[in-house]
Amino acid sequence: MKDSHDSEVSRREFIGGTGAAIVAANTIPVKAQDRSGESNERAIEDVPLTRITLTVNGTEHRVAVEDRWTLTELLRDHLGLTGTRIGCNRGECGACTVLLDGEPAYSCSTLAVWAHGRSVQTVEGLEKSGRVSKLQQAFIDHNAPQCGFCTSGQLMSATALLQRNANPTVREIREALAGNLCRCSNYNAIVEAVQAATRTGGA
Amino acid sequence: MKTFANHNPGSVDEAVAIAQAAISDGLSVSFAGGGTDLLQLVKDRIPNRPGAGAPDVLVNLKSIPGIGGIAVNARGGLTIGGLAPLSALAASSVVRQRYSVLAEAAEQVASPQIRNTGTLAGNVCQRPWCWYFRNGFNCYKAGGNQCFSIVGEHQLHAIFGGGPSFIVHPSDVAPALVALEATFHIIGPHGERTLPAAEFFVLPRDDAGHENVLGDAEVLVSINLPASANGVHSSYHKVMDRQTWTHAVASAAVVLDMEEGLCRSARIVLGGVAPIPWRVQAAEALLAGERVTAELADAVGVAAVAEAQPLAKNAYKVPLTRRLVERTVLAVSGVA
Amino acid sequence: MAIDPLKTVGQNTPRIDAYERVTGQATYTRDIKLPGMLYARVLRSNVPHAMIRRIDTSKAEALPGVRAVMTHETHKIPYGSGSISGGRQYSDAHKDITTRLRYTFNDHVRYVGEPVAAVAAVNRHVAEEALQLIEIDYEELPFVLDVEEAIEPGAPEIWSGGNIAHDSENRQQPIGGRTGDLEAGFAEADQIFEDRFTTQFVQDAQMEPRSALAHWEGDKLILHTPTQGVSNCRHDTARDLGLEDHQVQVICQYMGGGFGDKNGNYYFDLIAAAFARDLGVPVMVELSRKDDWLATHGRWHTVQDYRVGVKDDGTVTAIQLNGLSGMGPYLRRSGNVAGMDVYACENTEKSILPVHTNRVVSGNFRAPTYPQGYFGIESMMDEVAYKLGIDPVQFALKNMVRPTETKQFTNFTLDQCIEQGAELFDWANRWKPEPGSGEGPIKRGAGMAFMMFNARLGASSAILRVNAEGRYTVYVGVTDIGPGAKTTMSMLAAEELGVPLSDVDIVWGDSDRCPYSVGESGSRCTMMTGYAVVEAARDLKRQIAENGMPQGDSVLIASATPAPTTNGKLREGFGAHFVEVEVDTHLGDVRVTKYVTVHESGRILNPLPALDQIRGAVIQGIGQALTEDLRYDSRNGQPLTSGYYWGRHLTHLDVPQIENVFIETDDGLGPYGAKTVGESGIIIAPVAVANAVYNAIGHRMRDLPITRDKILEVVA
Repeated sequence: MKDSHDSEVSRREFIGGTGAAIVAANTIPVKAQDRSGESNERAIEDVPLTRITLTVNGTEHRVAVEDRWTLTELLRDHLGLTGTRIGCNRGECGACTVLLDGEPAYSCSTLAVWAHGRSVQTVEGLEKSGRVSKLQQAFIDHNAPQCGFCTSGQLMSATALLQRNANPTVREIREALAGNLCRCSNYNAIVEAVQAATRTGGA
Repeated sequence: MKTFANHNPGSVDEAVAIAQAAISDGLSVSFAGGGTDLLQLVKDRIPNRPGAGAPDVLVNLKSIPGIGGIAVNARGGLTIGGLAPLSALAASSVVRQRYSVLAEAAEQVASPQIRNTGTLAGNVCQRPWCWYFRNGFNCYKAGGNQCFSIVGEHQLHAIFGGGPSFIVHPSDVAPALVALEATFHIIGPHGERTLPAAEFFVLPRDDAGHENVLGDAEVLVSINLPASANGVHSSYHKVMDRQTWTHAVASAAVVLDMEEGLCRSARIVLGGVAPIPWRVQAAEALLAGERVTAELADAVGVAAVAEAQPLAKNAYKVPLTRRLVERTVLAVSGVA
Repeated sequence: MAIDPLKTVGQNTPRIDAYERVTGQATYTRDIKLPGMLYARVLRSNVPHAMIRRIDTSKAEALPGVRAVMTHETHKIPYGSGSISGGRQYSDAHKDITTRLRYTFNDHVRYVGEPVAAVAAVNRHVAEEALQLIEIDYEELPFVLDVEEAIEPGAPEIWSGGNIAHDSENRQQPIGGRTGDLEAGFAEADQIFEDRFTTQFVQDAQMEPRSALAHWEGDKLILHTPTQGVSNCRHDTARDLGLEDHQVQVICQYMGGGFGDKNGNYYFDLIAAAFARDLGVPVMVELSRKDDWLATHGRWHTVQDYRVGVKDDGTVTAIQLNGLSGMGPYLRRSGNVAGMDVYACENTEKSILPVHTNRVVSGNFRAPTYPQGYFGIESMMDEVAYKLGIDPVQFALKNMVRPTETKQFTNFTLDQCIEQGAELFDWANRWKPEPGSGEGPIKRGAGMAFMMFNARLGASSAILRVNAEGRYTVYVGVTDIGPGAKTTMSMLAAEELGVPLSDVDIVWGDSDRCPYSVGESGSRCTMMTGYAVVEAARDLKRQIAENGMPQGDSVLIASATPAPTTNGKLREGFGAHFVEVEVDTHLGDVRVTKYVTVHESGRILNPLPALDQIRGAVIQGIGQALTEDLRYDSRNGQPLTSGYYWGRHLTHLDVPQIENVFIETDDGLGPYGAKTVGESGIIIAPVAVANAVYNAIGHRMRDLPITRDKILEVVA
């Protein structure tokens, strides 16, 4: 731990030395009260912490994040948005898919600090004034979730698709959702659900 | 994950300075483009540079304005920022129209999510996807002094240019860039330099640990494509073990300069079969000045693999590559 | 056979919890946060076979934020002494007999991935960092990965006494037996064919990586864990920890996929429980995807040698199977290989040895013994049919099992499944009498296979309550792993009670609040627990008829634990699959271009999810046929292809539209005649695809998966 502390000091000195005009990277020592979602522990490691601002489902959040946190960790562990799932944590499965400035991204494969200034939409943001989206309703009606663990990611990829193309073909749906695995292999039903939510209802 | 500090530089020079300073402090540093692959290496404690530990410092290049664009340059060619997202390349009308091989390569990378986040330079510079390297074996690519695949499992490994490491270059866009005779613009601690794409990549026999010439504090800032003449047709065909989110078992980037049914010149660069994008000039030569026919395309495919040296378990890649080249040449030339 | 239509049952019914699943509100184990909870990670052996000489955890313990470190030296907790999780040899009656006991941490490590230590810390990053600081001195031992090498004389002994797995009496005996007169059967044959088929290890790979959250209230353990059966998980956990069942409460409200072997406990449940007890706070153990891949289980790989005697008219007269099943170093499940009994031939012999290797532990995956065995037997029979010049459909109809005096079925539709499937698929036009005869480099071909799967009955319980408002509550110990059990149970109650589905609430997934359920494995939950719901509803109706509806604060409660039988008859689900593939003989690609299935699963209670059970299972089976594997480096004993990237799991772009038809029947048993659905679809998918590849290219693919290198080796 001593080594870690020393290297942290040297990093901070080094930042000062380069005079880097770093956007929102005012690395500060950890204080226990900054650490939401964790046990009420004293500072356990002197880890780099950065204040960022990001918009999640339309709400602006100013949060202090550890530099090593992925965006998924920020959402799930610190903003309480557990609808975004961790399937592989390696960018292989798509369960963690969110919209980053409107485009699908693996939130496990981007750091929370990199989301500074950006807009994030998660599955929790799909419902509007207590009503599920047309796509969510189609997922319900067409049995798109089996175990449901990939569902949030499938919904986010499909939401982005329908925003840019209200009437995709089956091929376009499959291509847009190609980065979202479903081990229940409910692919047929998921595509049928997305079709039903297109402008023509898949007709 | 191990602790590290992220930095958001405002310029390439600043990014280089941060990296340089960190290195002189004895710290391990990595540049992050999209970061999609880098973060997996960090999580799995796999060295991003041979012999390096997990990074102490990440330099986030996305914070630098102006290095992610796609623009026609003064010479009528195209300048593409290293931070251009792969999805933007695939969607760009100028890339699609004039450099379709590059658009097609970009749109076959990994998955939609990775193409949205991943960048041109990141794809070019990604570390190998050899299952030994990715499982933490201390191989040449990790800084060790052996290649485990030779006497192990090498179904996906090199049939050209192997030794002492038998990795294959994982990039889809790299073969397209070599075939388009792109030039790479690099900024580092000692200033700027510009290299032809083909000189960017290095064979393991020259440097077993690295796949390219980039120094530890150098950044691939932009890529220039020469002006595309009328009559140049191109395409990228990729063979995968499933239809998305895998690297090429073999791929072919083919650029043909056609005039009235004759092929004036050809460039054929292979992916997934060698430690670098693998140009097959003997095959190209067969096309120069010729009318493309089914027979000629077959001969081109045969010539493309004439020098192949498969290992015990990857001989299937030889006929595969031969047929892939034949098919891609036929598709580009318009001969059905 | 026509079935009588019902009011609720049989209607396409969206899941009653679909809203929670599409809004992110469904709470999976990892989504639960408890005050003061700690996070734990597990360190795993990086060598395939070794004795641990020394393990030094002092640096890890000194890392700020670390609360405890656990190893075989600090915690000797048996794992698998319950009746379910440990496999047959560790049943209650036998747990004292076994000489091959497995602990949560073993100083003799037997595979890469075996747990060797665990750390509890204030967050997952600290726990992970602490794992790096644990120093282990291994005395490495010779290892063996191959099942045939493992039983050769002089092979490295994974257990003293040799690598053939013990049965429940510590005997090393093959699974199987003889029927009829094998020698007479071969003597009767005009021709005898022999061939070898192999199948690979396939990870279950459910999307939710496993985790467990444990805390204690006094001497009672509360365990949140993604299980397929809260009742069995409770019993196992109590056995392993030396507790009474009532001292353990298992809760699973949502879980991200269960394709087998989660109807019990896991070692990480025990780690969470032990940490939580030692530290007096809740502890969540999280497995990484790689942990989950290498240190849970998958379908056992097999080597199968068949010998088949047949008359020139195509009648099969004898079938012999000798096989080996690779179980990894611990026997978790049987290792059996199914399939021969779908043929009528009465002269048979089967001998399967479950063998230990230093690979990942094998266990149950969707129809545990079936896809392997059906790949073997129906590849073999397909080959025999071609050799005799007989259309495989005709060969199937000639040789498939049929009801006899001594072999009676509650109902029988296998012939219908085959005939209807052949017609829907247009077998006559798609199948090529001359395999490999297509023109050009891209060749099409058609294949088929047929199956039956036990639709057994058995004991399970349900409680039903009604209050004065007229709201009905069903209490069932299901966790709803994906097929929609909560919805089905509610529909059964609504149907039997004659009330709308919206009047029925459900309490599920909690071993304290729900009565015993068999859990969701063996495709039996609907039949067994569902039947208990129907019986409880009948009792409640009777009570209402006698006493009237409850008034004020009073309630009426009914419960049922029926144990119905089939009176000696076989009760089976049936099915036939017809596949068309396109094989690119230049590039080695195999694409499934058409897939038709006909299944008889009795009455279909909820057609919407039932269809998707079949379609999803078929697609998993196509993945087993073409891509999924766990490749090892034979020199180092290291697994190379864990995870979804290397596993090449099929994506949206890889799968065909599956066309399924259910033949609906009602044999008067089970809830309204329902039979098995969930596992049926995967059983013959791998072999049907393989048979289609043969028809396309004229080369038999004997080893799964059918990858590009294997195709190009024979056609390029």
